[in-house]
Amino acid sequence: MAPSQMKGLTQFIINLRNSNDSEEEAKRINLEINNIQTKFATNLNGYQQKKYLCKLVYIYLNGYHEGIEFGLKHAIELVDSQVYSEKQLGYLAISILANKNSSKIDLNNTLNIVYPILIKDLRSNNEDINCLAIQYIASNFNLSDNASYQIDESDENSSEWLELIDMTYSFVTSPIHKPIVKRKAIIALFALSKLYPKVIINNNNWIPRILTLIDDKDFDIVISSMPLVEYVVRLKPQFIKSIIPAIGLKLFNIVVEGKCPEEYYYYKIPAPWLVVGLLHLMEQFFLMKDKDIPVLCISNLDDQTLNNFRQVVSTSIQNASQSIKGLPNRNSQSSILFQAVSLAVFLDASEDAIHGAINALILLLNSPDTNTRYLALDALTKLTSRSNIPVGVDDTIPKLFQLLYDKDISVRRKALDLLYATCTPLTFSSIINRLLDYFPFSDFSLKSELGIKIAVLAERFATDSTWYVTTMLKLLSIGGGYNSNGVSYIGNEVWERIVQIIVNNEDLQQKTCKLIINLLKNPLVLSANGKSQPIQTGLSENLIKVAGFVLGEYGHLVNDADTQFQLLYESYFRVSLLTRAMLLSTFLKFLVKFPDNDFVPEIIDLFEIESKSMDLEIQTRAYEYLKLATISSNFELAQKTIKPLPAFVNVESSLLHRIGGYHDISRRKSRVLAKNIPRKSPTADITNGEDDTNPFDDTKTALSPNWYSGYYRMLHFDAGIFFESPLIKLTYRILKEGNNILIRFTIINNSAKTAGTDITKFTVLELESRAGDTDPSYLLNLKQVPESTIRDKSVLEIEIKVRSVIENNESPILSVTFMCGGSFNQLNLKFPVLLIKTLSATILGSEDDFEKRWLQIGELLGTNEGEYTTTVIPSASFTYPNIIRLLSRLGFAIVYASPENPPSNLLIKGAGILHTQKSNYGVLTKVKSIESEVQENGYNIVVRCTGGGIAEVIALTLKEILQEDL
Amino acid sequence: MAIQFLYLLSRQGKLRLAKWYETKSQKEKAKITREVSTLILSRRPKMCNVIEYKDIKIIYKRYASLFFIIGIESGDNELIGLEVIHRFVEQMDRFFGNVCELDIIFGFEKAYHILDELLIDGYVQESSKKEILKRVNQQDELENLDEFDNILA
Repeated sequence: MAPSQMKGLTQFIINLRNSNDSEEEAKRINLEINNIQTKFATNLNGYQQKKYLCKLVYIYLNGYHEGIEFGLKHAIELVDSQVYSEKQLGYLAISILANKNSSKIDLNNTLNIVYPILIKDLRSNNEDINCLAIQYIASNFNLSDNASYQIDESDENSSEWLELIDMTYSFVTSPIHKPIVKRKAIIALFALSKLYPKVIINNNNWIPRILTLIDDKDFDIVISSMPLVEYVVRLKPQFIKSIIPAIGLKLFNIVVEGKCPEEYYYYKIPAPWLVVGLLHLMEQFFLMKDKDIPVLCISNLDDQTLNNFRQVVSTSIQNASQSIKGLPNRNSQSSILFQAVSLAVFLDASEDAIHGAINALILLLNSPDTNTRYLALDALTKLTSRSNIPVGVDDTIPKLFQLLYDKDISVRRKALDLLYATCTPLTFSSIINRLLDYFPFSDFSLKSELGIKIAVLAERFATDSTWYVTTMLKLLSIGGGYNSNGVSYIGNEVWERIVQIIVNNEDLQQKTCKLIINLLKNPLVLSANGKSQPIQTGLSENLIKVAGFVLGEYGHLVNDADTQFQLLYESYFRVSLLTRAMLLSTFLKFLVKFPDNDFVPEIIDLFEIESKSMDLEIQTRAYEYLKLATISSNFELAQKTIKPLPAFVNVESSLLHRIGGYHDISRRKSRVLAKNIPRKSPTADITNGEDDTNPFDDTKTALSPNWYSGYYRMLHFDAGIFFESPLIKLTYRILKEGNNILIRFTIINNSAKTAGTDITKFTVLELESRAGDTDPSYLLNLKQVPESTIRDKSVLEIEIKVRSVIENNESPILSVTFMCGGSFNQLNLKFPVLLIKTLSATILGSEDDFEKRWLQIGELLGTNEGEYTTTVIPSASFTYPNIIRLLSRLGFAIVYASPENPPSNLLIKGAGILHTQKSNYGVLTKVKSIESEVQENGYNIVVRCTGGGIAEVIALTLKEILQEDL
Repeated sequence: MAIQFLYLLSRQGKLRLAKWYETKSQKEKAKITREVSTLILSRRPKMCNVIEYKDIKIIYKRYASLFFIIGIESGDNELIGLEVIHRFVEQMDRFFGNVCELDIIFGFEKAYHILDELLIDGYVQESSKKEILKRVNQQDELENLDEFDNILA
């Protein structure tokens, strides 16, 4: 046992523990509080202050929260101490004694108290002291997710908050601090960001640095950064794709390759916290939605990354099927398995792979360990509802019924959830029947849920309306009871729903009446199900409610009104007041529909008796009905009041609101009745994810200096250098095929030669298409992601699909970030995606052919639409022969070129085809010298194109190329 | 994996250590503690260690006379939560040497310290077992140094 250095404290604790009862304990505590209070009034040294605060903290821990607030002032004094242990205890005491931030005012008050000491300690050169302050921030300024307030610049002390955030951020990105400080700072920054989200939203340059934390080589920094990264991605979903490859690679290295430092092994499992955390993060990413559109889907991932994830998942499943001894080990291994299985569905795994996962989980259902059974059921439920693949019928479902009788109620509940989720058109009737059998034996707390689940399943899968009604009435008969609090097992929603469906389906009405009469005559006898005595169901209120309504409304469709009346009348005095009120209305309907039957006097009598009822509702109804029936002869007035019920308009089942569980459970179609169960519309595939209408939209990405030369070179040539700096060089090669363009960048580490350092954390932060969201003119796809650590070079491939005419200002921006020798770098480079890039040469037979088509376009589209003329004075390097070369390099077939000499009336004719997904266009161009002095007066560029308006795009591109110089 | 609270409960229902990572009013905390404690004390051994409580999950495990209880979000991995508890117990075991309830009662500030090195704001910050104890021991040394200073002064 660690020596406690404070004897007074130890003695106090011993005294308290020796108290005989709580009264004595409270007395001692009050005495001690008084004692401490007087002690603090005198001059105390640091040790004494610490001791008394410790006592106060202990008192607080024992549940005495009153009368110790005075300690706060002294705690703040103690934090100012130079002695580490006193400072530490000071912080502990403040965090306990300061009124917690349950409101914004409290929060700001707390800040006012602690701000000076926090700033002082954050500025300290001692890392241990920094840690105390950071830790205080992380654990005291954290809002719950449902907190209704935030800080923004309108707050009086927003500048204090900003200073704290700035200082915390500088710890996060500091290259000199130890990982332990950074870790704490990361979590503190997360807490502060939630408090003051605008800081993150408005600080565009912070985001890339925060995102790279997920790729840190220190495992615990990665673990600590997960919540922050998830939070940032939620705010700015467009960055999601940039971090996925790094996560994939990290998981692959740990799980598949087993690359994990010794100290992170937990028993024999490499870094389980990290692995589970990252898998969970990925699952969250796949579930994340931006305006109902998933921000991440499988097509966004490059092949290598996807493959990494799939291998991680399959390895984890394989690992789990090996038997291991010892509990700790099994827990962490299973935790990885369950996490991997939840992710599997999103990876678009084949049906076989899902079945593999399902089988691995089913094996676990037989485990003697309750946790494993419970969690396997949970995982199976998630898996089947997300993948829409049910568990095996023959082997598993009997097992699940067995689990309905498990000794742990949590397991029973989970088994029910799974049965619900896995129900299919093939299995529904056996599942529902078994569940109905189970109902009387199920736990009280499970009954309501069970009832709703049966009702929803019956409605969803019903193929035969008689079956549906029989099943539902059976459910109501069985589930008629009440628990000890008088709450019905089955909620009102269930019988209300049945009534809705009967009203809306005419063919059911007569049938239901007959069924109900039968049920009332001969109450259901349940199958014994292993028990010796069959169970007689008692009178079911729910059934009476339905009966009252249905017979009242449709009883005339079957004969024998007397029996109907007798059955209801008999039950009248055995049901609750609420049901009686309903029955009164039913009797009024009987009165109107069968005015000549024998039971009419009985009804009038009942109305008379009940109009003296103690219950106001019953009394009112009875009195009103009595008057309606007696005021005019032949029940004329009553007849006018009672009208058949119109069909329900709002037919959405309220049952579904009562069903919790996974929201991704897809709603399978029902054949007959449930036309009205809302189905999820298939979510649109998101192509680029770039979102111009993001409420927190950035100002346009600022391009890195020197971007233009690379852009221009790429405009011009199909291979070359795209960007170069002392640290990094990007070269490119363009491969064209019809409307597909592939740009292959080679990233070369320049610093390797000069400084011998690697480029690390290379991340494609964003590929920002400028083509607009709706019907974009081109699609970008990151085909190959470079390695994140580049020693020598790595390859980045971008695939471009040109769908339709691209305007000249729609070129995309490639944003990458990387670390090199401790410095963080970001490059935003625009690269040309222009229509002219899809040009390929066309062989025209002769110059005559050219002229013929030239005229055709003119006739067809006119010079407004089909032609564009512009004048250009080329830069010095474009001599006449160079222009010819340029045109053919760009993809024009040179049909005619006048000789260079004499240098007057120069003329080039070129022809080509533009490829887009929608259609192809023919392009013809004439480049004519204006005067003999070519270099001064320039050329006329005339372009004609078979697509309206395209000529202008091409002509202006040509002009841009010719004007600029490298 | 966000842990919302962690507390230690003796078999008699006494609170031995509590840490909240979610902002809740005193009243709410007391209510949750009371309700969860009743739930857990009423459970038989060998039942599963997960309870669904409102919209969160309670993970608990009994070590000797103490229940270790954490509340996690419903989407979080239960078993890894169990492992967080186990790691915490392991660390205390190594620090106190065969830890028992009394160690935690008398050495509560140390227990808090170990917890703080393992979790911060409900998130695992350090999963390497060497590191946690190193930090705690380091700070013990710091404290001893303080005392040395005091004596000299």
